[in-house]
Amino acid sequence: MPDPAASRILLEFDDVVKSFGGVVAVDHLSAHVRQGSVHGLIGPNGAGKTTMINLITGLFHPDSGTISFDGKHLEAMAPHQIAALGISRTYQNVRLFSGMTALEQVMTGCYLQRGVSLWASFLGTGNARRQWAKTRDHAMSLLKRVGMADRADELAETLSYGEQRRVEIARALGSDPKLLLLDEPTAGMNTQEASSVGRLVHELRDSGLTILLVEHNMGLVTEFCSSCTVINFGRLLAEGDPRTCIANPQVQEAYFGRQNDAERIQALR
Amino acid sequence: MDALLDFWAAYGSTVVFAMINAFFALSTYAVLSTGVLSFTTVVFAAVGGFLAAQTVGHLQISIHLSFLLAAIGGGLAAAVVAVAFLKLDSHWMALASLALVLITRVVSLNAPILTGGVNGLVVPLRVDPIEVAILLAVVTFAFYRLHNSWYGLASRAVREDPAVASTMGIPPRRIQFVAFVISGVVGGIGGAALAFTLQFLSPETYFIGIAFTMIASAVLGGSFHWFGPVVGAFVFTALPVMMQAFVPQIEDVAKGVALLLIMIFMPRGLIDPRAVRLRRAARLRHKQERAVNA
Amino acid sequence: MHLFLEQFVNGWALGSLYALFGIGFGLVFSTLGILNAAHGTYASWAAIVGYYAVVWLNVPFPVAIAVGVLAGGVLAIVVDQIGFQPLRAKKAGLLGALITSIAFWIILDSLAGFATQQQSLAFPASTYPNRMVAVGPVMVPQMQIITILALIICAVGIYLLIQKTRIGAAMRAVGWNEVAAGLGGVNARVVILLTAFLAGATSGLAGVLGGIATSNVSFTLGEGLLLKGFAAVVVGGFDDVRGTAIAGICLGIIEVFVGQYVSTAMRDGVTYALLLLFLILRPRGLFGSTSFLRA
Repeated sequence: MPDPAASRILLEFDDVVKSFGGVVAVDHLSAHVRQGSVHGLIGPNGAGKTTMINLITGLFHPDSGTISFDGKHLEAMAPHQIAALGISRTYQNVRLFSGMTALEQVMTGCYLQRGVSLWASFLGTGNARRQWAKTRDHAMSLLKRVGMADRADELAETLSYGEQRRVEIARALGSDPKLLLLDEPTAGMNTQEASSVGRLVHELRDSGLTILLVEHNMGLVTEFCSSCTVINFGRLLAEGDPRTCIANPQVQEAYFGRQNDAERIQALR
Repeated sequence: MDALLDFWAAYGSTVVFAMINAFFALSTYAVLSTGVLSFTTVVFAAVGGFLAAQTVGHLQISIHLSFLLAAIGGGLAAAVVAVAFLKLDSHWMALASLALVLITRVVSLNAPILTGGVNGLVVPLRVDPIEVAILLAVVTFAFYRLHNSWYGLASRAVREDPAVASTMGIPPRRIQFVAFVISGVVGGIGGAALAFTLQFLSPETYFIGIAFTMIASAVLGGSFHWFGPVVGAFVFTALPVMMQAFVPQIEDVAKGVALLLIMIFMPRGLIDPRAVRLRRAARLRHKQERAVNA
Repeated sequence: MHLFLEQFVNGWALGSLYALFGIGFGLVFSTLGILNAAHGTYASWAAIVGYYAVVWLNVPFPVAIAVGVLAGGVLAIVVDQIGFQPLRAKKAGLLGALITSIAFWIILDSLAGFATQQQSLAFPASTYPNRMVAVGPVMVPQMQIITILALIICAVGIYLLIQKTRIGAAMRAVGWNEVAAGLGGVNARVVILLTAFLAGATSGLAGVLGGIATSNVSFTLGEGLLLKGFAAVVVGGFDDVRGTAIAGICLGIIEVFVGQYVSTAMRDGVTYALLLLFLILRPRGLFGSTSFLRA
């Protein structure tokens, strides 16, 4: 395994600006994520973290600046084109499709890997049927990977919040991405569930995936991320090694307020 | 056998119209199942109907060939409409499609060469109800195939959440474009079937009446599964006939009240796969609990 | 020149009816998010109620108007509370509300047919101001002047209500977000009822005035208004009363002139073509939201 700190840059933000009706959400931000790393993106609520994720996936387009992935410019692309390049994501407040089973959700995530045309799939050719079965098995294995294989045929809305999150991660893996964006994957989870997600993140990294992790849980960031970027009010506060970043006085101030509120830090850890 | 013949004599035309309405409802469902509310099925039906009537009348082609032309004409019209409409926000698309329906009537009133204008158009041929039934079976089978293919999965994703679908590599606009073309083809076939059944077309034939019937049928039957619109069309067509037997005076009022009650009490329609799955899940849970207790 | 001016006033009065009708339709859409197909039936029923008030009870003209307006408003509230309120709890969205309103359209239209015995009724000539008034060089029927003034008063009044009052601010807020409006301390239910009433009342006013002016009191009255009022709303912009008023007047004038100088057959076609053109070419300018994908 190559050393993440020395590997090439996979995703790069260069002087990106995005504002909404006068409110600047991302303000001349430059940052990068190296291949093979688990990169933390942290910052207080409303710092612009989710906006960054939306900019990467093409749901928003930047007002100025460039975002490049694997040498290609993303800023003018449509979301589905960006997905085809190998970027996949989950959502801060889980967004599964209503009325679909867990397996169907993950199958939908495999859309890019279906291997047949829509037309062939409609006609039900032999190849289309083989590919469908193959994709189905693959989706099943992804569910197994997140520990949800026994719930494959259940409607997503009947699952618990933590289970829905895991299905969503499996769905995001369906497109076999190079870069996975996890938007607060442990929100609303207890410690045990959160650390199981952390373990999953490590497994995924070991299989060669690059991960950008938006996270509130500082413990998880220092434990699992090899590097991180801290932003506040859409601007860069610090970047580099997670422990160094969090020790940075500016970060301390942005995160924990002016008074050094030991209790709150304790709580976050 | 006699009973069957009696039934056909009494309700044959109701069954035929129910089948025709099923085409319209399926055409509406085609776009609805990708999250688009559009009244343009009426337009596609008009294109298909007048095209079929004119080609049979002037070019003396067979009824089968004219059905094919109607399907192609409806599909092409839909492709053109989709290019213009898919730029719009969903609310605006619904409004624009309504405007297009109004314009269609004005055009059919003012283009007598194509449509017979105010005098209407006599259609010289009549379609056998069996053929309509076969055609409907074929179309319904196509929807069944669509539902169980990658297109079906993608269209459900686009309907539930287009933004999420797009970040999974599913292009919402392209899926909706395909949906429009399907809607056009099926609408065109329905229009032709109506033309060859009524054997007379006027500018009022393809108008708001069809728009109501098709939307009501699709929603009544359920717009989350291909079987819903077919069931809805039969119920919605049979309902007034049955009402007529009991309350002839207020047939329309009863139709409206029925629609209203369905919307309030079962807004997802008669055929709802999600409800079925939820019930199944509840049953399973119940069984497991009992097993644990025992 | 004389004919031109006369037709101009004709068009203005006709357009005022469209605008008067359209204001309520647009108000319900922008505030409550409902595309109300039953909006036309309020006009039909207001005209019918006004007609019977005059014929049976011999009420004077202003009372007939008031009764019609009130009938329209109350009917709108009834429809909203029976049909739309249950859907709000279920979050059935645009489609559900549209279908429900179509159901009400069918019901109220057929009942209106019974109320008029499927005929087109006309107010007796002696029961409303029917003289001609000289305005400069042209003679204008009194009803046209009343219609034109009615639109101006209603448009200005509703504009001020929305822009300058607390309840108006709440109406704008509900249009964006019901929760936000609740935080502002204004009861969303009050806003819903007021909006429904205002919409029904303006539709009713257009119905009574239109029913008198065109000597057509029947269910077709509302249908005609619905299609044209809808066009006025789209061309003028949903969330702006001023836009609807101006667009309605313009459409009325265009319609009359096309009928006079081009061909009667094209009268409606031009309106609808304009409607479609605006929808396709200028959807953003007319509506606040620009993006299809909500992230």
